[in-house]
Amino acid sequence: MTTRKLALLLLLGAALPMIAQAQIQHVEMRVEGMT
Amino acid sequence: MKQHLGRQSGVQSVEVSLVEGRVEITPKDDGKIDPAQLIRATYDSGVTVAEMQITARGKMVKDSSGNLALQTAPNQSFAILPNEKSKGLDELAGSTTVVTVHGELYKKPPGKKKAPPSLPLRLELLETPKKG
Repeated sequence: MTTRKLALLLLLGAALPMIAQAQIQHVEMRVEGMT
Repeated sequence: MKQHLGRQSGVQSVEVSLVEGRVEITPKDDGKIDPAQLIRATYDSGVTVAEMQITARGKMVKDSSGNLALQTAPNQSFAILPNEKSKGLDELAGSTTVVTVHGELYKKPPGKKKAPPSLPLRLELLETPKKG
């Protein structure tokens, strides 16, 4: 049981930094027909 | 259009340059922004998107068709168009290495003035990706 909890913690520990780091940082559009 | 875009999910701020015809969008810190939704919202407000570029961080994955893609969220990824800048990214597919890329996600097909945006979006890298 303890081993399973430890494995789950390790998995979350590895996944969370990736989720936190991965993202769209900036978006730029060139548009036409804007007044 | 500025207000319409500002109401879209994940949008922190919108800067519009009328003279240059440029719109800069800063996502919220959680980064949960949908470029396809932004293109549709722009189109719905009567303005045509000629080009969209993004800067994004994520990890390289292979999609269901075996094509290379940048995963920016568990449920969001963009297929990478192979070019000079994307060389070497194949090796990172499936690894936990995070890369930062800058590329063109959408370009209006030539000759069509008011065509609705064609989706899905594909990312053509404009700069060599940076690790981290």
